[in-house]
Formats: sequence, C-alpha cells, structure tokens
Amino acid sequence: MRKWLMFTMLLAMAALYSRQATAERKENHKDYASSSIAECSSCHKGEGVAPNHDSDWVRGHRLVAQKPGRNCNDCHDQAFCLDCHTGGGIDTSPSNQTFRRDYKPKSHRSDFLEIHPIKAMDNPQSCTRCHSEQKFCIECHERFRANDLQFQSHRRQFSDIQLSNVGPKHEGFSATQCQSCHPGGMLPTHKWSADHAVEARRNLQACQTCHSEGDVCMRCHSARTGLKVSPHPRNWDSVKGNYRDKSNGRSCVKCHDHF
Amino acid sequence: MGIKWFTHILLLAGVVSASTGFAAQINGRSSTQLIWFNDYYSGRQVELVEYLRLSVTKIDEAGKFSLYGYGRGSQDLNNGDGLNGRLYYLYADYRGLFDKVDFRLGRQFVNNSAGTALVDGGQIDLRNIGPIGFNVFGGRDVVFGINGEAGHSGNYAMGLSAYLSGFRNTDLDVSWFRKWDDGDVSRDILGASFKQYLFNRLKLYGNARYDVTAEVFNEVLGGVKYFPMANLIFTGEWYQSYPTFDTTSIYSVFAVNRYQEGVFRVDYTINDMIAVNAGYSRQDYGDDGIANVYELGCRLHPISSVEIGLAYDKRNGYGGKLDGGQLDVAWDVTKGLQLSGGLTYDVYQRDFYLDGSSRETAQKYWLGGKYKLARNLQASLRVEDAITARDESDINGRFVLDYDF
Repeated sequence: MRKWLMFTMLLAMAALYSRQATAERKENHKDYASSSIAECSSCHKGEGVAPNHDSDWVRGHRLVAQKPGRNCNDCHDQAFCLDCHTGGGIDTSPSNQTFRRDYKPKSHRSDFLEIHPIKAMDNPQSCTRCHSEQKFCIECHERFRANDLQFQSHRRQFSDIQLSNVGPKHEGFSATQCQSCHPGGMLPTHKWSADHAVEARRNLQACQTCHSEGDVCMRCHSARTGLKVSPHPRNWDSVKGNYRDKSNGRSCVKCHDHF
Repeated sequence: MGIKWFTHILLLAGVVSASTGFAAQINGRSSTQLIWFNDYYSGRQVELVEYLRLSVTKIDEAGKFSLYGYGRGSQDLNNGDGLNGRLYYLYADYRGLFDKVDFRLGRQFVNNSAGTALVDGGQIDLRNIGPIGFNVFGGRDVVFGINGEAGHSGNYAMGLSAYLSGFRNTDLDVSWFRKWDDGDVSRDILGASFKQYLFNRLKLYGNARYDVTAEVFNEVLGGVKYFPMANLIFTGEWYQSYPTFDTTSIYSVFAVNRYQEGVFRVDYTINDMIAVNAGYSRQDYGDDGIANVYELGCRLHPISSVEIGLAYDKRNGYGGKLDGGQLDVAWDVTKGLQLSGGLTYDVYQRDFYLDGSSRETAQKYWLGGKYKLARNLQASLRVEDAITARDESDINGRFVLDYDF
C-alpha cells in the first residue's frame, strides 16, 4: 500500500513539474493597467481576469489579492491597495469621496455617520479589515451617552424600568441609592442582561469600540467579583491553555487569581 | 516619524539614482491638495496636503532593482491639528536573483491567505524552482491611527506560504500568519485558498482561515462563478465568519455567534452601452438575527463621452432598514476636460432610534471637474453637500493639483 502511495505521489509530482516547466511565463501587464475590462476579457476569459473585476469586486477581491506571487502587482502599484486599506488618495478622481484627508470606499456612500449603524451590520468582519485600530471608532462613540446608541441593551437600562405599574421610573434615583432597596444585590439583572448577551454574541467587535478594555464586562463576568458569570465559549476547556501560553496569561489575570 | 522617514528615503533615492550612473529612471506623482470639511466636533477645518508617490527603476543594468515610495504630509490651517504625516510604503525591490528569488526590504503591505499587515521589514519570494513556490515576510507591525502611527512596542508580524506555481487554471496555497503584541503572540492563523477554472466557463474558489488559538475556522468562503460568455457572470457564494480577537485582548475569551452569508449575483455587459448587475444576500447573525439585501445596478454609455452609473440596494432585517443608492455621471467634454456629478440618497429606519422617530433620510450631492493643464499637469475640484437628520447642509470639498514626473 505504501509503495502505491509513494508511486502515486511521485507520479503527481512529475506531472506537476512538467506542467510547470512547460507553462508560459507571465507577460508584464503594467502597460495594460488602464485597459477596459472588455479588453482584458478578450484575452483572459479563461483565466478569470474579467470575473475578478466585475461589479462585485470590492467584496470579492480579497481572494485574488492574497494569491502569492504578487498577483495585483502585475498591473497595479501598491498605492492602489493602500489608498483604500489605509486611507490614501493620490489617484482620487472627482467621483471618489474623501473623509477628511482619507480616501473613502464606495461602500461608504451617503453620509456614513448616519447610515453606518445599519451598513456596518453587513459582514461585521469587513469593518475591522480597514479600521483595525479601535481609536477610529472610539473617537466618536465615546462622546455619546450609552442611551443614545442604537443597541437595545443600552436603550433599556434600569433607568427606564418603573418600580410598579404606577410608580416612578428608576431614573429618579441616583446610583448611591441602589443598595437601600437592593441590599447586597447586583443590579443589571433585568431585561438588559438577556439583550446585551444576544447583541454581544452577534457583534462583539461593536462592544470593543467603546469598552476597549472590557472593564464594564468584568463587573459581572470576572471570576473574582460581581455575578461571576462565565463568558467563555463552549470549547473553552480545550483552548484555554492556548490563550494562557500565547498571551503569557495577560488576559487570564484580568479576571482570575490563578491560571 | 513618518515624515522623517519619507524625507530620508527621498534623499537616499536621489543618492542611489545618482550614484549608480545615469540609467535610473524616476517616475511618480506629486498631488497637492487643499481640502475643507466640517469636523463633527471641532468645526470647520481646512488642510493643505501633499501626497508623493515615486518609483526609481532601472537602477541596475538589468533593471531588476527598484525603489518605491508613497507618503503624505498634511498641515491643518485653522483648527490647531498641526502637521501630520503618514508613510504608506517605502521599499527596495529586487526581482529575479538567479531568476528564482525576489526580495523586498522596507515598509510594505504584505498579505497571504492567512493574514495581512503593513510591516517595516522584508519579504522573500522563491519561485521557478518547480511546481511549488514559497513566500516569507516579516517585520515590525505598523498600525495607523487617525493621526499618525498607533502601534505598541513589541508589535511584529510574520507569514509563510507555499503555493502552486505555473498552472494556468489552478491556484492553491497554504499559509501561516502570526502577530506579536509586546512580545506575546496575539494572532496565530493558518490559511488556505484555492481557485480552479473548468471548461473555460466555470470558476470554483474557496478560502479558509483557522485560528490556531481559538481552534475555530474564523473565516470560510466557498463560491462558484459561471460565465457562459465573457460578458455574463453568475456568482453563488457562501461565507461564514467567527470573530476572533488578539489573545492579549479580554474580548478573546468571550463567546460569539457565527455569522453566515449566502450570496447570489449576476453581472451582464449587454453591449458597449449598457452593463447591468443584480444581487441578493441573506445574512444570518445567529439567535434568529436575519437580514436580506437586494442590489441592482447599471452602467450606461449613451454616447462614448458620457458614462452614467446607477446603484440601488434595499436592506431589511436585523439592525434596521436601508433603502437607497447612488447616481454618478461623467462627461468628457474635451480630451482635457471632464465634468462630473452625482448624488446619493438613503432612507433608513434603525431598529432603535434616539428620539423615537422611525424614518430618516441622508442625502449627498456632489459636482466635480478635472482639467489637463499640460501633458503632466492636471487640476481637479470636487465639492459635495450632505443633508441629513443632523445637518441641513454640510459642505466639503477639495482642490487638487497633480504633477506627474
């Protein structure tokens, strides 16, 4: 069996090598960088150059761009990538928008400050590809009151809850008065708890925008204090050692005495 | 810091090109821009910005050694933000050592199927050694904030990949990507991607990233494109992501939902005058959070000097409703003059809204023009006005003078 396996592998390697050896060398494409897609298609239909540059290119180009061997580099300068990915703008045409001094991709149409709470829901990962530095989001978000944000969990806080059907809302009380009615109690145990868990699981990156260090999370989710609610995923027992070893326990000690 | 670097390298480029004889060729673009906008909190701001991109090629006789640079400096004129700079890349490139090795050294954008980074470091590509090529990169991880660099000490990134080389219809690679934060491993990702063309009309493709620390696939993409003709493309895709965070972030220990998305699209270039596209996406955020997105678009060339673009999309479901799109028109009046304009219009309804009102609109109107003053000198202007629930009018603009050398 092993011999057959070895023989098959050798045969496959030989076939691969002969195909590679006879393959045509790629032509320098810089001169064609400004060609229309139709012109590209006439030569490259089978190689997928045209399907890579269709109207869905913004969403689909990731796979093309990460091909080793500097695929994009055949036609484009690195500036072409970085104008979007880190916000340059040297080839900006009048049809391109800018945000301050940065180039702004077309997905940010209209006034993005207004529509991004909805637009940013589409594939939550896509925002962090460009805005990996949380300060970008924090600069605006930290200036809002929590109740002004869109999240359900932040709209429904204890201040909205009435003491009884006819009683006053909690907003009439200050935080220092909590313990007089809830001696020894942890307070955020109302509807808020369920809502915030669902929202956080769907888009935890949004939480990090304002609570970058997670301090507000740890009021309940720490192993030391508060409600001591475990936030970990189901496979935690099998992966916790990975986190401990790689981060040297930096995250563990935020909530645990020992790791 | 970015500005210092850029200045030093510019000087170095000049020295190199001068010292290596007279063959070196220097090309690039200088873009001087005056921009004005309303900062949401600081008020009206006016800035003068200088972008510079250059390439020094044919430094050696064989034309294998080149230098590339791109950066910007900006000076705020009225709000006290002062001088800012950003160096996007600045690297030396040597291609084809023994026809087998390519080198890049300096600040550069690097990526493989497992990850992406901007590094101050190097990249080596080993190719033409058989059916498999190898790529390795690594260096200081450069992170940009709004104003300048925002990285920490001990930020590094590196990646390795092995890939099939020389196959016309097949791409396949496997890779590894690692990042460090203050000396600790913050990201450890394995990646793979493939692409296969079949029958000259079918393309199968896929990509996966596996987070070694969390032991989950944090991104998986599978798709098929069917193009019976070069001008007609059907796309079907499935994508899922499971957000993971740096191991050094407290968020890395929290449970999250898997996000999934199914996409169907069609692109059809009917003739030289009309191209249309349509698409539908179904998004699943877990815990019964579902959204549907419908898209329509077209590009028209009623006459060769005029191009009209239209895009419309409608979204409903988790997060809210969004219904809107954009129109843009470009007219090449003469060989040297282009006029353009457009608008975006959105009607949206968030699931929850600040003042209890349910339906708002956001509009933007813009006008622009581009004029070639000489073969290598071009001026352009763009002015836009945004009308939203927040502002009755918010006028931004920029004037650009591009010099190509």
